[in-house]
Amino acid sequence: VRPWLLPAAGGVLLAIVGVLAVASLDRDEPTPSARADALTRELRCPDCQGLSVADSPTESAQTIRAEVDELIAGGATDDEVRAHFVARYGEWILLAPSAPLFWVIPLAVVIAALAALAVWLARRPAPSATATSPLSIEERRRLHEEAEALDA
Amino acid sequence: MRRLRWLLVPILVVPLAWLLLSGFDRDPRAIASPLIGRPAPAWSVETLDGERLSADDLAGRPYLVNFWASWCIPACVDEHPVLASAHERHGDELAVVGVLYQDTPTDAEGFLARYGDAGYPHLVDEDGSLAIDFGVTGPPETFFVDADGIVRARQWGPLTADSMAEQLASIGVGS
Repeated sequence: VRPWLLPAAGGVLLAIVGVLAVASLDRDEPTPSARADALTRELRCPDCQGLSVADSPTESAQTIRAEVDELIAGGATDDEVRAHFVARYGEWILLAPSAPLFWVIPLAVVIAALAALAVWLARRPAPSATATSPLSIEERRRLHEEAEALDA
Repeated sequence: MRRLRWLLVPILVVPLAWLLLSGFDRDPRAIASPLIGRPAPAWSVETLDGERLSADDLAGRPYLVNFWASWCIPACVDEHPVLASAHERHGDELAVVGVLYQDTPTDAEGFLARYGDAGYPHLVDEDGSLAIDFGVTGPPETFFVDADGIVRARQWGPLTADSMAEQLASIGVGS
Protein backbone atom coordinates (compact mmCIF):
# COMPACT_ATOMS: atom_id res chain seq x y z
CA VAL A 1 0.00 0.00 0.00
CA ARG A 2 1.40 3.38 -0.98
CA PRO A 3 1.43 5.74 2.03
CA TRP A 4 -0.13 8.61 0.08
CA LEU A 5 -3.01 6.54 -1.26
CA LEU A 6 -5.41 6.77 1.68
CA PRO A 7 -4.93 10.46 2.49
CA ALA A 8 -5.36 11.17 -1.23
CA ALA A 9 -8.56 9.12 -1.31
CA GLY A 10 -9.79 11.06 1.73
CA GLY A 11 -9.04 14.33 -0.04
CA VAL A 12 -10.98 13.27 -3.13
CA LEU A 13 -13.92 12.22 -0.96
CA LEU A 14 -13.89 15.63 0.78
CA ALA A 15 -13.84 17.39 -2.57
CA ILE A 16 -16.88 15.40 -3.75
CA VAL A 17 -18.79 16.24 -0.57
CA GLY A 18 -17.88 19.91 -1.02
CA VAL A 19 -19.08 20.00 -4.64
CA LEU A 20 -22.35 18.30 -3.66
CA ALA A 21 -22.87 20.78 -0.82
CA VAL A 22 -22.34 23.77 -3.12
CA ALA A 23 -24.58 22.25 -5.79
CA SER A 24 -27.38 21.78 -3.27
CA LEU A 25 -27.33 25.52 -2.49
CA ASP A 26 -28.65 26.28 -5.96
CA ARG A 27 -32.10 24.86 -5.34
CA ASP A 28 -35.43 26.67 -5.68
CA GLU A 29 -36.56 28.88 -2.82
CA PRO A 30 -38.49 26.69 -0.31
CA THR A 31 -41.94 27.73 0.96
CA PRO A 32 -42.21 29.35 4.43
CA SER A 33 -43.83 26.23 5.85
CA ALA A 34 -41.10 24.00 4.39
CA ARG A 35 -38.52 26.29 5.96
CA ALA A 36 -40.31 26.12 9.31
CA ASP A 37 -40.45 22.31 9.03
CA ALA A 38 -36.72 22.14 8.36
CA LEU A 39 -35.88 24.57 11.17
CA THR A 40 -38.04 22.79 13.75
CA ARG A 41 -36.20 19.57 12.89
CA GLU A 42 -32.95 21.35 13.81
CA LEU A 43 -34.21 22.81 17.08
CA ARG A 44 -34.23 20.81 20.29
CA CYS A 45 -37.48 20.54 22.24
CA PRO A 46 -36.45 22.15 25.57
CA ASP A 47 -38.42 19.85 27.86
CA CYS A 48 -37.88 16.54 26.07
CA GLN A 49 -35.02 14.07 26.04
CA GLY A 50 -33.19 14.51 22.77
CA LEU A 51 -36.24 15.15 20.56
CA SER A 52 -36.55 17.86 17.97
CA VAL A 53 -39.32 20.46 18.11
CA ALA A 54 -40.79 18.87 14.97
CA ASP A 55 -40.95 15.46 16.67
CA SER A 56 -42.45 16.62 19.94
CA PRO A 57 -46.04 17.43 20.90
CA THR A 58 -45.21 19.31 24.14
CA GLU A 59 -46.44 22.83 24.81
CA SER A 60 -42.99 24.36 24.57
CA ALA A 61 -42.38 22.62 21.24
CA GLN A 62 -45.68 24.04 19.97
CA THR A 63 -44.75 27.49 21.25
CA ILE A 64 -41.39 27.32 19.51
CA ARG A 65 -43.03 26.15 16.27
CA ALA A 66 -45.43 29.11 16.47
CA GLU A 67 -42.52 31.49 17.09
CA VAL A 68 -40.61 30.04 14.12
CA ASP A 69 -43.66 30.61 11.88
CA GLU A 70 -44.00 34.13 13.23
CA LEU A 71 -40.31 34.98 12.70
CA ILE A 72 -40.38 33.63 9.14
CA ALA A 73 -43.56 35.59 8.40
CA GLY A 74 -41.76 38.66 9.74
CA GLY A 75 -39.03 38.18 7.14
CA ALA A 76 -36.32 36.49 9.28
CA THR A 77 -33.74 34.36 7.49
CA ASP A 78 -33.05 30.80 8.65
CA ASP A 79 -29.90 31.98 10.41
CA GLU A 80 -31.82 34.73 12.18
CA VAL A 81 -34.39 32.20 13.40
CA ARG A 82 -31.60 29.96 14.74
CA ALA A 83 -29.90 32.97 16.36
CA HIS A 84 -33.19 33.94 18.03
CA PHE A 85 -33.30 30.65 19.94
CA VAL A 86 -29.54 30.38 20.50
CA ALA A 87 -29.70 33.78 22.24
CA ARG A 88 -32.19 32.28 24.73
CA TYR A 89 -31.01 28.69 25.18
CA GLY A 90 -27.45 28.76 23.89
CA GLU A 91 -26.01 26.39 21.28
CA TRP A 92 -27.73 23.58 23.19
CA ILE A 93 -31.01 24.35 21.42
CA LEU A 94 -29.47 23.27 18.10
CA LEU A 95 -29.50 19.47 17.76
CA ALA A 96 -26.44 19.65 15.49
CA PRO A 97 -23.55 21.94 16.44
CA SER A 98 -23.21 24.97 14.18
CA ALA A 99 -19.43 25.45 14.42
CA PRO A 100 -17.80 23.72 11.40
CA LEU A 101 -14.94 22.70 13.70
CA PHE A 102 -17.15 20.04 15.31
CA TRP A 103 -17.67 18.41 11.92
CA VAL A 104 -14.08 18.75 10.72
CA ILE A 105 -12.37 17.32 13.81
CA PRO A 106 -13.78 13.75 13.65
CA LEU A 107 -13.15 13.63 9.89
CA ALA A 108 -9.59 14.90 10.37
CA VAL A 109 -8.97 12.31 13.10
CA VAL A 110 -10.17 9.47 10.85
CA ILE A 111 -8.05 10.68 7.93
CA ALA A 112 -5.00 11.14 10.15
CA ALA A 113 -5.47 7.65 11.62
CA LEU A 114 -5.77 6.08 8.16
CA ALA A 115 -2.70 7.98 6.99
CA ALA A 116 -0.73 6.84 10.04
CA LEU A 117 -1.83 3.25 9.43
CA ALA A 118 -0.78 3.49 5.77
CA VAL A 119 2.62 4.89 6.73
CA TRP A 120 3.08 2.20 9.36
CA LEU A 121 2.18 -0.59 6.94
CA ALA A 122 4.49 0.77 4.27
CA ARG A 123 7.43 1.18 6.68
CA ARG A 124 7.07 -2.11 8.48
CA PRO A 125 10.08 -4.25 7.71
CA ALA A 126 9.37 -7.50 5.90
CA PRO A 127 9.25 -10.49 8.28
CA SER A 128 12.89 -11.44 8.88
CA ALA A 129 14.24 -14.53 7.17
CA THR A 130 15.90 -15.96 10.28
CA ALA A 131 12.77 -15.87 12.38
CA THR A 132 10.90 -18.34 10.17
CA SER A 133 13.79 -20.56 9.04
CA PRO A 134 13.80 -24.06 10.47
CA LEU A 135 16.11 -24.78 13.37
CA SER A 136 19.69 -25.60 12.58
CA ILE A 137 21.04 -29.07 13.31
CA GLU A 138 22.99 -27.65 16.23
CA GLU A 139 19.80 -26.08 17.71
CA ARG A 140 17.82 -29.31 17.28
CA ARG A 141 20.52 -31.23 19.06
CA ARG A 142 20.53 -28.77 21.99
CA LEU A 143 16.75 -28.82 22.21
CA HIS A 144 16.74 -32.59 22.27
CA GLU A 145 19.41 -32.63 24.98
CA GLU A 146 17.57 -30.19 27.20
CA ALA A 147 14.32 -32.09 26.81
CA GLU A 148 16.08 -35.26 27.84
CA ALA A 149 17.56 -33.51 30.83
CA LEU A 150 14.08 -32.42 31.90
CA ASP A 151 12.72 -35.95 31.57
CA ALA A 152 15.53 -37.37 33.65
CA MET B 1 13.31 7.09 20.89
CA ARG B 2 11.35 3.86 20.42
CA ARG B 3 10.69 3.66 24.14
CA LEU B 4 9.44 7.21 24.25
CA ARG B 5 6.81 6.24 21.75
CA TRP B 6 4.88 4.46 24.51
CA LEU B 7 4.48 7.80 26.20
CA LEU B 8 2.03 8.58 23.40
CA VAL B 9 -0.51 6.24 24.97
CA PRO B 10 -0.86 8.07 28.32
CA ILE B 11 -0.55 11.43 26.54
CA LEU B 12 -3.60 10.58 24.42
CA VAL B 13 -5.58 8.47 26.86
CA VAL B 14 -5.30 10.50 30.07
CA PRO B 15 -6.78 13.79 28.77
CA LEU B 16 -9.47 11.92 26.86
CA ALA B 17 -10.45 9.88 29.93
CA TRP B 18 -10.47 13.03 32.02
CA LEU B 19 -12.70 14.76 29.47
CA LEU B 20 -15.19 11.88 29.42
CA LEU B 21 -15.18 11.25 33.18
CA SER B 22 -15.56 14.93 34.07
CA GLY B 23 -19.11 14.76 32.73
CA PHE B 24 -20.26 12.31 35.38
CA ASP B 25 -20.75 14.81 38.19
CA ARG B 26 -22.63 17.26 35.99
CA ASP B 27 -26.31 17.28 35.17
CA PRO B 28 -26.56 17.29 31.37
CA ARG B 29 -29.73 19.39 31.57
CA ALA B 30 -28.11 22.12 33.67
CA ILE B 31 -26.85 23.96 30.62
CA ALA B 32 -25.29 27.39 31.01
CA SER B 33 -27.71 30.21 30.27
CA PRO B 34 -26.62 32.66 27.56
CA LEU B 35 -28.69 35.31 29.35
CA ILE B 36 -26.17 35.75 32.17
CA GLY B 37 -24.58 39.20 31.89
CA ARG B 38 -27.16 40.39 29.38
CA PRO B 39 -30.33 42.49 29.78
CA ALA B 40 -33.32 40.46 30.93
CA PRO B 41 -36.00 39.82 28.30
CA ALA B 42 -38.71 42.50 28.29
CA TRP B 43 -42.11 41.23 29.37
CA SER B 44 -45.60 42.47 30.12
CA VAL B 45 -47.90 39.72 31.30
CA GLU B 46 -51.16 39.42 33.21
CA THR B 47 -50.92 38.10 36.77
CA LEU B 48 -53.15 35.60 38.57
CA ASP B 49 -54.95 38.61 40.08
CA GLY B 50 -55.81 39.86 36.60
CA GLU B 51 -53.51 42.86 36.73
CA ARG B 52 -50.84 43.56 34.16
CA LEU B 53 -47.23 43.58 35.32
CA SER B 54 -44.19 44.41 33.20
CA ALA B 55 -40.42 44.40 33.60
CA ASP B 56 -40.57 48.21 33.38
CA ASP B 57 -42.69 48.32 36.57
CA LEU B 58 -39.73 46.76 38.39
CA ALA B 59 -37.07 49.00 36.85
CA GLY B 60 -34.43 50.13 39.32
CA ARG B 61 -35.10 47.23 41.69
CA PRO B 62 -33.43 43.84 41.73
CA TYR B 63 -35.91 41.05 41.10
CA LEU B 64 -36.11 37.32 40.67
CA VAL B 65 -38.29 35.43 38.21
CA ASN B 66 -39.28 31.97 39.40
CA PHE B 67 -40.80 29.57 36.84
CA TRP B 68 -42.93 26.99 38.65
CA ALA B 69 -45.95 24.72 38.21
CA SER B 70 -48.46 23.06 40.51
CA TRP B 71 -47.52 19.70 38.94
CA CYS B 72 -43.85 20.23 39.71
CA ILE B 73 -43.63 18.00 42.77
CA PRO B 74 -41.70 17.82 45.01
CA ALA B 75 -39.17 20.38 43.73
CA CYS B 76 -41.56 23.36 43.56
CA VAL B 77 -43.13 22.45 46.90
CA ASP B 78 -39.68 22.21 48.49
CA GLU B 79 -38.52 25.62 47.34
CA HIS B 80 -41.84 27.37 47.97
CA PRO B 81 -41.02 28.37 51.59
CA VAL B 82 -37.59 29.63 50.48
CA LEU B 83 -39.23 32.02 48.01
CA ALA B 84 -41.85 33.09 50.54
CA SER B 85 -39.22 33.87 53.17
CA ALA B 86 -37.08 35.83 50.69
CA HIS B 87 -40.15 37.89 49.80
CA GLU B 88 -40.97 38.58 53.45
CA ARG B 89 -37.42 39.23 54.51
CA HIS B 90 -36.31 41.61 51.78
CA GLY B 91 -39.58 43.45 51.27
CA ASP B 92 -39.23 46.39 48.90
CA GLU B 93 -35.52 45.76 48.35
CA LEU B 94 -36.33 42.75 46.17
CA ALA B 95 -39.24 41.99 43.86
CA VAL B 96 -40.23 38.33 43.69
CA VAL B 97 -42.18 37.29 40.60
CA GLY B 98 -43.54 33.81 39.96
CA VAL B 99 -44.38 32.56 36.47
CA LEU B 100 -46.75 29.66 35.81
CA TYR B 101 -44.98 27.17 33.60
CA GLN B 102 -47.42 25.10 31.52
CA ASP B 103 -50.03 25.34 34.23
CA THR B 104 -53.60 26.58 34.55
CA PRO B 105 -54.56 29.46 36.86
CA THR B 106 -56.99 27.16 38.70
CA ASP B 107 -54.33 24.55 39.48
CA ALA B 108 -51.84 27.25 40.45
CA GLU B 109 -54.36 28.84 42.85
CA GLY B 110 -54.99 25.42 44.36
CA PHE B 111 -51.26 25.02 44.96
CA LEU B 112 -51.03 28.46 46.62
CA ALA B 113 -54.06 27.74 48.79
CA ARG B 114 -52.48 24.50 49.96
CA TYR B 115 -48.86 25.54 50.43
CA GLY B 116 -49.33 29.20 51.30
CA ASP B 117 -49.59 32.37 49.26
CA ALA B 118 -46.78 34.72 50.24
CA GLY B 119 -48.45 37.55 48.36
CA TYR B 120 -46.00 38.16 45.52
CA PRO B 121 -47.42 38.22 41.96
CA HIS B 122 -47.58 35.23 39.61
CA LEU B 123 -47.57 35.76 35.85
CA VAL B 124 -49.88 33.66 33.71
CA ASP B 125 -47.61 32.80 30.77
CA GLU B 126 -50.53 31.56 28.68
CA ASP B 127 -48.70 30.73 25.43
CA GLY B 128 -45.39 29.84 27.11
CA SER B 129 -43.48 32.54 25.24
CA LEU B 130 -42.02 34.09 28.39
CA ALA B 131 -40.51 30.71 29.31
CA ILE B 132 -39.00 30.49 25.81
CA ASP B 133 -37.63 34.04 26.12
CA PHE B 134 -35.83 33.04 29.32
CA GLY B 135 -34.69 29.73 27.82
CA VAL B 136 -36.46 27.64 30.47
CA THR B 137 -36.09 23.86 30.14
CA GLY B 138 -38.33 22.86 33.03
CA PRO B 139 -39.56 24.04 36.42
CA PRO B 140 -38.36 25.09 38.87
CA GLU B 141 -35.97 27.54 37.29
CA THR B 142 -35.19 30.97 38.70
CA PHE B 143 -33.47 33.99 37.14
CA PHE B 144 -31.91 36.78 39.19
CA VAL B 145 -31.97 40.26 37.64
CA ASP B 146 -30.07 43.19 39.17
CA ALA B 147 -31.26 46.80 39.57
CA ASP B 148 -29.86 47.66 36.12
CA GLY B 149 -31.98 44.95 34.49
CA ILE B 150 -29.06 42.61 33.82
CA VAL B 151 -29.49 38.86 34.42
CA ARG B 152 -26.79 37.89 36.93
CA ALA B 153 -27.59 34.31 37.86
CA ARG B 154 -29.83 31.38 37.15
CA GLN B 155 -30.85 28.63 39.53
CA TRP B 156 -31.63 25.42 37.72
CA GLY B 157 -33.68 23.19 40.00
CA PRO B 158 -35.11 23.99 43.44
CA LEU B 159 -33.73 26.83 45.54
CA THR B 160 -32.50 26.15 49.05
CA ALA B 161 -31.87 28.75 51.75
CA ASP B 162 -28.14 28.62 50.92
CA SER B 163 -28.45 28.85 47.15
CA MET B 164 -31.02 31.63 47.52
CA ALA B 165 -28.61 33.68 49.67
CA GLU B 166 -25.80 33.06 47.22
CA GLN B 167 -27.84 34.01 44.14
CA LEU B 168 -29.32 37.08 45.86
CA ALA B 169 -25.81 38.28 46.67
CA SER B 170 -25.10 38.30 42.91
CA ILE B 171 -27.79 40.93 42.40
CA GLY B 172 -26.74 42.99 45.40
CA VAL B 173 -29.41 41.82 47.85
CA GLY B 174 -27.70 41.05 51.15
CA SER B 175 -28.82 39.19 54.21
